[in-house]
Amino acid sequence: MWSYALRRLLATIPTLLLVITVCYLLLHFTPGGPFDTEKKVSAAVLANLQEKYHMNEPLWKQYLLYLNSLLHGDLGASFRYEDWSVNELVATALPVSAVIGGVSLLISLLIGVALGSLAALRQNSVVDYLVMFLGSVGSVFPSFVIGPVLVMVFAIWLQWVPSGGWDNFAPRYMVLPMLLLVVLNVATIGRVMRGSMIEVMSSNFIRTARAKGLPQRTVVLRHAMKPALLPVVSLIGPMAISAITSAVITETIFSLPGLGKLIVSGASNRDYTLVLGLVVLVTVITVTFNLLVDLAYALLDPKIRY
Amino acid sequence: MNNKNDDLVEALSAAIEPSLHGRSPWASARTRFMRNKAAVFSLCLLCVITLACIVGPYLLPHAFDSADWEAMSQAPTWTNMHWFGTDESGRDLLVRTLIGGRISLMVGLMATIASVSLGIAWGATAGFVGGRVDAVMMRVVDIMYAVPYLLIAILMVTLLGRAFYLVVITITVFSWMDMARVVRGQTLSLRSKEFVEAARAIGVPTHRIIFQHIVPNLLGVVVVYTTITVPGVIITESVLSFLGLGIQEPMTSWGVLIHDGAQVMEVSPWILLYPGALLSTALYCFNYIGDGLRDALDPNDR
Amino acid sequence: MASQLKFAACALVCAAIAGPGTAAVIPPGVQLHSTQTLIRNNGSEPDTLDPMLAEGVPANNITRELFEGLTATDGAGNVVPGVAETWKQTSSTSWVFTLRKTAKWSNGDGVTADDFIYGMRRLVDPKTASQYANTFGIFLVNGKEITEGKKATSELGVKALDKYTVEIRTPYPVAFLPELVSNLQLGPVHRASQEKAGKDWTKPANLVSNGAYTLSEWKVNSKIVLTKNPQYWDAANVQLTKVTYLAVESDSADVKLYESGENEWVLLLPPGSYEKYKAQYPREIRNTPLIGLRYYSFLNTDPLLKDVRVRKALSMVLDRDILAQKVTADGQLPAYGLIVKGTVGSDVTSYDWAAWPMAKRVEEAKKLMAEAGVAPGTKLKFSYNTSDYHKKMAIFAASEWKTKLSLDLELDAMEFKVLIKKRNDKDYQIARNGWNADYNDATTFFALVQCGNDQNNQASCNKKADALIDQGNQSLDATKRKELLTQAARLVMEDYPMMPLLQYTIPRLVKSYVGGYTATNALDRYRGKDLYIIKH
Repeated sequence: MWSYALRRLLATIPTLLLVITVCYLLLHFTPGGPFDTEKKVSAAVLANLQEKYHMNEPLWKQYLLYLNSLLHGDLGASFRYEDWSVNELVATALPVSAVIGGVSLLISLLIGVALGSLAALRQNSVVDYLVMFLGSVGSVFPSFVIGPVLVMVFAIWLQWVPSGGWDNFAPRYMVLPMLLLVVLNVATIGRVMRGSMIEVMSSNFIRTARAKGLPQRTVVLRHAMKPALLPVVSLIGPMAISAITSAVITETIFSLPGLGKLIVSGASNRDYTLVLGLVVLVTVITVTFNLLVDLAYALLDPKIRY
Repeated sequence: MNNKNDDLVEALSAAIEPSLHGRSPWASARTRFMRNKAAVFSLCLLCVITLACIVGPYLLPHAFDSADWEAMSQAPTWTNMHWFGTDESGRDLLVRTLIGGRISLMVGLMATIASVSLGIAWGATAGFVGGRVDAVMMRVVDIMYAVPYLLIAILMVTLLGRAFYLVVITITVFSWMDMARVVRGQTLSLRSKEFVEAARAIGVPTHRIIFQHIVPNLLGVVVVYTTITVPGVIITESVLSFLGLGIQEPMTSWGVLIHDGAQVMEVSPWILLYPGALLSTALYCFNYIGDGLRDALDPNDR
Repeated sequence: MASQLKFAACALVCAAIAGPGTAAVIPPGVQLHSTQTLIRNNGSEPDTLDPMLAEGVPANNITRELFEGLTATDGAGNVVPGVAETWKQTSSTSWVFTLRKTAKWSNGDGVTADDFIYGMRRLVDPKTASQYANTFGIFLVNGKEITEGKKATSELGVKALDKYTVEIRTPYPVAFLPELVSNLQLGPVHRASQEKAGKDWTKPANLVSNGAYTLSEWKVNSKIVLTKNPQYWDAANVQLTKVTYLAVESDSADVKLYESGENEWVLLLPPGSYEKYKAQYPREIRNTPLIGLRYYSFLNTDPLLKDVRVRKALSMVLDRDILAQKVTADGQLPAYGLIVKGTVGSDVTSYDWAAWPMAKRVEEAKKLMAEAGVAPGTKLKFSYNTSDYHKKMAIFAASEWKTKLSLDLELDAMEFKVLIKKRNDKDYQIARNGWNADYNDATTFFALVQCGNDQNNQASCNKKADALIDQGNQSLDATKRKELLTQAARLVMEDYPMMPLLQYTIPRLVKSYVGGYTATNALDRYRGKDLYIIKH
């Protein structure tokens, strides 16, 4: 298994290269550039701007220059946030997104697995329908509806927490965003868990366990849980990634200084270095998580071998 | 004596033979589905909604794009026949909700079918063939995750224009990866099961094993995940439209209506309420149908 | 004697120019709150805090706190002394500013004329690559040539006559120069610390400021915290000890923060919510008209739009009263000309048909369209950037042109950057546009319609009007100048190069205990120095 992990990590490099190239080309072919602003600038100023950011060089040369600085760990200077380097921006935004995304994902997993299992074990009963109905709220209402509703109820009417903002990981600013993300994710996890648990519970080895006379609790927790979790585990990868990187709407609603915000403002402003830097980050996170998930598969299903 | 009994038995079997049919797995699935009341009810409800969206706008008095500046943001009334009220530009909300439904359902259906098909084909092949092919295919999935979708969306729309099918393609491009990963995971687990080994042992070619043996067993997870994809697709469409990359004014979709409604929900709640209610009802229906299908098609649940 | 006369003369001139006080005037009897802090929303994250590079409004709001130019504008919108105590116009094209000796940088160094010379040269230096180089550079002798790389920065028409005197020469008479130099693009920079820190000179640890505040905290996309600068020459009159600028872009999130107590100054109310908040918070609602114009650009070279009759008809039928009262419903004023109310240097111009009843306007417009040979059902394309506000206005325009002229308007929403590019590349038919003044003078609006000007998106050109503008600029007599510029404004609009719609206003919520907010600040520039917290 370790050699498999190592091979996967090495395979990251060509993946990274490919992603960077694709994004690089995309950025340069998308109409509108970082220097297209409402106040047009003189040709001399434009020339200097381009020189400052090495944009007067041919495309392939810029590409190599970028790769070179990447090797030195330098993600470049941002176009949109002119006083900051991409490294600095990512360093401040990543912890915010990681904490909110990570913690809410953990909570969603716990609740989702519990709810899904409960519904599965009481299949087609009132409990099943009720649990699924409530749990699905997060998947039938878009985040830009649930979010403002949460804000209206908890921040404006009840005044229990602020409606948004951020202050150095102060808990009161993290409550609502996490609540929103949990509500959104619980739906998916719950449904998948339910489906998977139902399948597992009707399989032969469970029947055997029951026939052995084991109590329900042992059957479920010790025997059914692991294989049932397999499809859920497939979800963790993409969920973790999107919790961290695409929580744009959440970050807009709650004014959080996270990665989602950077990605959108980078793309809207054609901030080449910021977007590429974030893409590098997202690729590394994606690959790492997918690897962890695949390793988890092996842990959960003894028949899976790499 | 024996002869008489034999004759009787033969006559009996001759009599009842025409009415004996073997039960195909699809027929038994359908029976099981029909037993699930919630699923059946949802199916009917969804048909009603779809019908309303298709036929309704022809029967209603207002056009979906006629703005009435004297009647902006009016609450639902009987006068003027604005049964759902009007939106911020004075356009009838009922008609707009139904027209929006057409777009959302169509986009939802088409993009889901496209991304599910792509996802299954990709994931099953990767999971089953394994080895280097698996590695390469999954790296492509990784790449798709890493590239910011906003960028691709902007590029596609600006270069190719804003035709309806392009919106569907744009959404599909970002929605197939989850299915591919889930299917691959299940395939990995399935391929080491006995019946697959048996099929391999008797020499069934790979593609037949994939499509005849593996895919039917994936149906449970696929169906559930498809019903998860539909809302995602519809919401992605609304985010795209909001960013000016999807449906153009005056055409609308549930996602766009809900987004606009969320901005003014404290002042004119009906603008959010009606499209929101229809969207969530439709999606709940998809969920229950999905669960019903999963239960009905589960090969183990006989 | 001579010096006394000189002093009196100067006092007269300067008093005429300088405003009453330099800090917030606290009305008698008003008690101040024990904590003088303010949290206000700045909209989006500033692009930079480098005053010469600062381009957007958010960035300029902050540089205005950290730095102080030769002059400044106070809460009422008047030009007041900044680092310069007094100034006088020594000839039609030259001004002399005398700096006060008490002005200091936050590290204790005195502010000298050299700091200003360095700053202004830095602005026009092509190496700095400032996008504002031209906007302000054209008002300084050789400024334009330097930004184009044709002359060296040392040839800029600014000179330090001695340690505390700055002389500025302009290429033609600029009556509003004192107001112009209140902009920090023409402000001072502490050379030593800027050169030492290099790229990081604007970070909290390195920034040396001469304004009322220093930069104590900067969290990107979250907030910028400014604390009172004890070295500031007028620190005694600065009430607010701490000002926090938030970077909340979503206007609905902005209002929610206000309602949940995290924000005391909303930047801009969400579209369509003005009436509601006006009723809900009558003592906190504000709405000041700005020196800004909302308009739709016509591509004058487009085959359909090149006939002036077509453009006139399109402009005539749009009911700006309904637009202002019902569609946008936030107190904006209908505009029928290039210049908006409150602009210095020109009168507001209008069309004669603006006073006609709408039925008559529609009839006349239909005639014009028929004469121009435009058949009903013709399609027109309208480009705008995605925003609920612009969308609503676009739907209105589409419905007006459809019901009154039977034209089909195809709405094309796009990202802001793409719209800018299309407008600059003249790749549109009708486009949504807007302009907010950088300084309060009519010339800021003429840039939108002058022949060959970069800001002219319409490819329109009226040489006679341009000639009048040049003539007006050369004139030394303020009345004559105004006359000429008004004439030019009227003349250029007879061509219908674009279609003015509304004058911008700023509807917002500000807590009632924030003192110093006025109804006359037409450029919406409030320094922390102009504000105070009333006891509550």
